[in-house]
Amino acid sequence: MKPSAFDYARPRSVAEAVEALGSTEASRVLAGGQSLIPAMNFRLAEMSLLVDICDVDGLDTVSCDAAGVRVGAAATQTRVLDDADAAQAVPGLRATLRHVGHLQIRNRGTVCGSLAHADPAAELPALALASDALIGISGPRGRREVPAADFVTGPFTTVVEDGELVTDALFRRPPSGAVTVVDEVCRRAGDFALAGLVAVVEAQDGAVRTARLVGFGLRGVPTRMRNAEDVLAGWAGDHSIEAITDAVAADTTEVFDDTHAPGWYRRDAVTALVVRTVRSVLESHEAP
Amino acid sequence: MSCLDPPINISEHVRHSTRYVGRSLRRREDRRPLTGRARYVADLQLAGMVEAVVVRSTEAHARIVSIDTSEARALDGVVAVFTAADLAEVASFPDYIDYIGPVRQRPLAEDRVRYVGAPYAVVVAADRYVAEDAAALVAVGTVFEPLPAVADIDQALAAGAPKLHDDWADNRSVDIGAERPEITEAFRRADHTFAETFTSQRQTGLPIETRGVVADPSDGVLTVWSSTQSPHMVRSTIALMLGVPEPQVRVVLPTVGGGFGTKTHIYSEDIVVPWAARLLDRPVRWIEDRMENLVASVHARDQRHDVEVAYDDDGTIRAVRCTSILDLGSGEIFMPGTAPVFVTNACITGGYDFPLMETRTVAVVTNKTPAGAYRGFGIPEGALVMERVIDRVARLTGTDRVGLRRRMLLRREQLPYVMHGGGRLDSGSHAESFERALEMAEASLARIREQHADDPDTRVGVGYSNYVEPTSPTYHLTTGHWAGYDASTIRVDPDGSVRVAAGLSAIGQGAETIAAQLAADALGVAADDVTVVLGDTERSPYGLGSWGSRGAMMLTGSVLMASNRLLDKARAIAAHMLEAADEDVVVSDGAFHVVGSEQPSVSWSEVATAAWIRTVDLPPGTEAGLETSGYYDPPYLEHELDASGKINAAASWSNGSHVGIVSVRLSTGEVKIEDYVVVHDCGTVINPQLVDGQIHGGVAQGIAGAMYEHFQYDTETAHPLFASFMDYLVPTSAEVPRLRLDHFESPSPDQPLGVKGCGEGGTIGPPAVVTGAVSDALAEWGVDLTTCPVTPVSVRAALRAAQSRAAAEREQP
Repeated sequence: MKPSAFDYARPRSVAEAVEALGSTEASRVLAGGQSLIPAMNFRLAEMSLLVDICDVDGLDTVSCDAAGVRVGAAATQTRVLDDADAAQAVPGLRATLRHVGHLQIRNRGTVCGSLAHADPAAELPALALASDALIGISGPRGRREVPAADFVTGPFTTVVEDGELVTDALFRRPPSGAVTVVDEVCRRAGDFALAGLVAVVEAQDGAVRTARLVGFGLRGVPTRMRNAEDVLAGWAGDHSIEAITDAVAADTTEVFDDTHAPGWYRRDAVTALVVRTVRSVLESHEAP
Repeated sequence: MSCLDPPINISEHVRHSTRYVGRSLRRREDRRPLTGRARYVADLQLAGMVEAVVVRSTEAHARIVSIDTSEARALDGVVAVFTAADLAEVASFPDYIDYIGPVRQRPLAEDRVRYVGAPYAVVVAADRYVAEDAAALVAVGTVFEPLPAVADIDQALAAGAPKLHDDWADNRSVDIGAERPEITEAFRRADHTFAETFTSQRQTGLPIETRGVVADPSDGVLTVWSSTQSPHMVRSTIALMLGVPEPQVRVVLPTVGGGFGTKTHIYSEDIVVPWAARLLDRPVRWIEDRMENLVASVHARDQRHDVEVAYDDDGTIRAVRCTSILDLGSGEIFMPGTAPVFVTNACITGGYDFPLMETRTVAVVTNKTPAGAYRGFGIPEGALVMERVIDRVARLTGTDRVGLRRRMLLRREQLPYVMHGGGRLDSGSHAESFERALEMAEASLARIREQHADDPDTRVGVGYSNYVEPTSPTYHLTTGHWAGYDASTIRVDPDGSVRVAAGLSAIGQGAETIAAQLAADALGVAADDVTVVLGDTERSPYGLGSWGSRGAMMLTGSVLMASNRLLDKARAIAAHMLEAADEDVVVSDGAFHVVGSEQPSVSWSEVATAAWIRTVDLPPGTEAGLETSGYYDPPYLEHELDASGKINAAASWSNGSHVGIVSVRLSTGEVKIEDYVVVHDCGTVINPQLVDGQIHGGVAQGIAGAMYEHFQYDTETAHPLFASFMDYLVPTSAEVPRLRLDHFESPSPDQPLGVKGCGEGGTIGPPAVVTGAVSDALAEWGVDLTTCPVTPVSVRAALRAAQSRAAAEREQP
């Protein structure tokens, strides 16, 4: 469990980082290292140059504005979790980060690193999709911004190309009055989910007005559950859940099997999460 | 010693005002690790030391065609690369047990590998980084010719199955069992019978500190620091296999970060690293990393039980037949891993009066990591079977589950009781412990049911386990050695300080603390004046090590034997100095005086000074020195089967009752342990806090087995489907519930101070309790779990199966 030999760079600016990344074909970005370092120790990830972006000026910032919360690539998950302004602007951030790893992991792990890693069972890429996040990427040809819906292209794969790095992500404010719920089924506290759900729900007069649902841990990429969203619009929790079950089934046709859980289980679990999420939103909505 | 002698006790000549036994003396061994001052094997730094890395098979079953090590050797920083051919002069591992399949285990695999992780080459280099680079080159340079793999018990037993060991008739290492006519008769007479199969899954003991060996050939002594539970046996085996006289090998335990059974075995690295150090004439170290640990340290618990039950309408269980089959992995380990399945069958009836048991004991080899010891040692697997059988009979006959257990539990007046396999329960509180556990759980069960009453997605259930825990077992079943004793040497130095050196090893269990408590009581000194030395073959007497819940009893016996001998001599010296008769002299609070008058007195220091450096004060004809040893060999412990095929393979037996309450979420299958109660009885308690700690840790590991840990293998290729803690789920403090404990003390009438062991009981209950409780929670669907671990997936699968059964029944006209 020792990595093979590599060179190490610690640039002070994005331009330096891009230059370093472009100096060799096999370069990788290191931020919090909570996934990359184990992969290097297992020799699953090997590179000739590791570009540590933790000292890059301005990358560790978290800023809020009318659009939402912009998180720099070196900002740790703990930093975002503890930021009261960010929690107020985008409540989903705190709700999501509570499920990410353990304290020690969040103290080093970064929000953007989790997006760039794109683990199919990770919470943050799902939140990004649920909140229409915009991901900033810098590279030799300059800066571009990619919507979350286009960012993750498969398990552990994104549109970020060799020589590029994620510099920031803008998580947008939810519609005013909407409730964000993040729930998951996992074997142990802090584990990756067997199935998870990020839900942004607007309710009115004891019924759902709109629901935006993103499942994770279901297939290679976060799953926008549009059939379930349609069924839930107007739902008051007063009739059969079979319609929801059928809609979730239609949304989760490509669920994967692995040693942790078969596809049918993940579908059962995310169905349960949708039902209990909507019920809890309606219950809390009714309460004075 | 004969079975008729009274048990060893503290001398009547001690009138100590302070008694340490029975008190929660703070653990003296904790300060070092808690303050970062403990030295583990990986902390050792020796001048000129080089690092070894083991190259392990990536094939489950293959012939080794060739190994090209030239590229690895050429790498800068590489000192040497060894394969089996280099170790031709080294003997094979011992293979002493004649009733199991013979395994010729070489220190490194010679021409064939039988599991992923099997060691076949060793790289020695300047550091671990270079060594791993070189190991990768050796792997690339190795040509394997794959052989068909055997991935599980069914495949191992299939007709025409590929054989792991060519000279065996088939893949069975052992298959022992006899029909009992009275069982056949009971089945014939019973109202009903059913058959069921139960399984427990593959796990490992998983010490936080992995294994590690540092060997130093300097100064004409081969010194080996090893993270092991059995230092003397490691020394004897190194000496035997390397052909070195035993006194020229010294094995030292640094601080050990847990063993849990995995470190009772002697592994390839224990031999190859010292061998390489001698050959290279410089210190060599090898530290197992966690990825290695998961495939290269023994696994356990991988058992299947084919059970037939005969029962009557009133719930009476007339007889049970159980074929227990252990998946032994490749079998290439010393000590061999067959013993736990014998223990499963011997202990399967737990705390119940249930003689009509017929067992068959089978162990098969497969292309997986060798199985071996893990805390609990086969008992949790059997406890699961028995408790599930009782629940099933209760359900089938409409009998109350608790009432049925009450009918079956042993009562005090039945003791000593001989179990179906020969286990001799000399004492215990089998029925009382269960009643107490029920009483402790009653209010919380009502409260938890109430809490969840309005939640249509949640059900609550309760599970039970009443078990016995064999303690201080024979070494023969595990190693083939005919012994079951352990030893202490006690010396009083001129300043009056007491030094206890014992053959046991300190593996975190608190042996150091209780040795001091025992010696202080036995010699009439303060515990702070006692220094304890464990785990160094040069400083402690030969002993068998720490395993089998034997430490407390072995220390009690051997420390009291040595202390009483030492005290006799010290009293004679003191009597001479006091000009009194020997028999009138007593010791209290560190000083000798004539009984009835505290003055004049002679201190331990004055007596020891006379013995060591002022021998002119000794009584005429008395030998100098104040050091004695005791070798405690417990009565009633048997090493081989009697004519009727029975054996009492443990010196005494503790017992316990667990009651667990769970809530189950129907929609996701999530199980939460809401409350967990343990009532435990290990006879006289030397240190209550240590016993509590043993139970807490044991239950945590039991819950790991009941709900989390599972080594899964590909069923076709026998390749591991796990690589790290991402796949092998170890519960954390967030998953293990707060326990509620109570104790009974039913002293063993036959063992010193009535002490019995307590190291493993905690692990035994949880698989039975959790499967029972979840089945109870889901009884309305007829769910009846037979397998661990209980996971969200397995619970949902059981519910879905039950629901589709019900749907199918509805469709039937």
